[in-house]
Amino acid sequence: MIKPTLITWIIAIFGAITFLPLLGAQLIMILKPQSQKAKDLIIGKGKDWRDKSHFLYSFAFAWADLLVIFPLFISGTIGVFLGQYWGYVLWLILGVVSIYFSIVFWVLEKQFAYATYGWLAYYTYFWGFFLYWGVGAIVFSILQIA
Amino acid sequence: MKLLTKEIGRYPLGIWIAFMALLLAFLAWLMQTYSLLDWERAVELGVQNESFAGDAVERAIADVERGVAIADIFWVFPITVIAFIGLLRKKFIGFVAAMMVFAVCVYFPLFYAFRGSMNFDIVLIAIFLWAVPSFLGILGLWANRKMFKN
Repeated sequence: MIKPTLITWIIAIFGAITFLPLLGAQLIMILKPQSQKAKDLIIGKGKDWRDKSHFLYSFAFAWADLLVIFPLFISGTIGVFLGQYWGYVLWLILGVVSIYFSIVFWVLEKQFAYATYGWLAYYTYFWGFFLYWGVGAIVFSILQIA
Repeated sequence: MKLLTKEIGRYPLGIWIAFMALLLAFLAWLMQTYSLLDWERAVELGVQNESFAGDAVERAIADVERGVAIADIFWVFPITVIAFIGLLRKKFIGFVAAMMVFAVCVYFPLFYAFRGSMNFDIVLIAIFLWAVPSFLGILGLWANRKMFKN
């Protein structure tokens, strides 16, 4: 049994702020992939897909995120607050995946997203938060379960 | 789960499965490294699907693949090395690192599967070479988690 601490709460709340809006957007992407709402949320207000491949990989990321990230975040957070070892293992796993797609999107989307949203949004909720959460969750989880 | 804890030589079956999944991950990282060094040759060999010499859509997909290759080599490959050495020495860090690698190896075939533009045979290869062994690796590690105390 690992007792939750103040940092557990901070990481859990930061995770909710980071992942839940993404998962909401990805859900709309799956349910109404060609709607303007999906485009507004995924690529920016009033924007359109750059080409077919842009739509296809965004659609694929939406599925992969919903099937992997959502269950990992919810079950990991439940496990952590129950004081369970497996909760931290799930946070660790999600931390790695989060950093992984941060790197992919850095290579892939920075030139577009940075120009559209500006540095502040880019280095916070649009991209940065996923990287920061991943690093924080990995470090904290390793310290808690080691 | 009991079957996964059955000792076969130095390690339980579940850990052998994890080793096998890690070796398959190394194969993927080898292919990705080669792709980053010479992308067009990798396309000719069938290691990559899309060329930077193709039309705009093909180039855009190749760009996605390059992003995935960079993340694999600079982030997941070092973790795979730590996982392999850690598991060999039955260290906790090996257990954790292997779990991390397997998560990515389940994630990226899913991305391929839903992308639509990928050939079906490549999707199947990605699922059977990486997603399924990695998922079994996760189960194998979890069944033997008590082995990794330090």
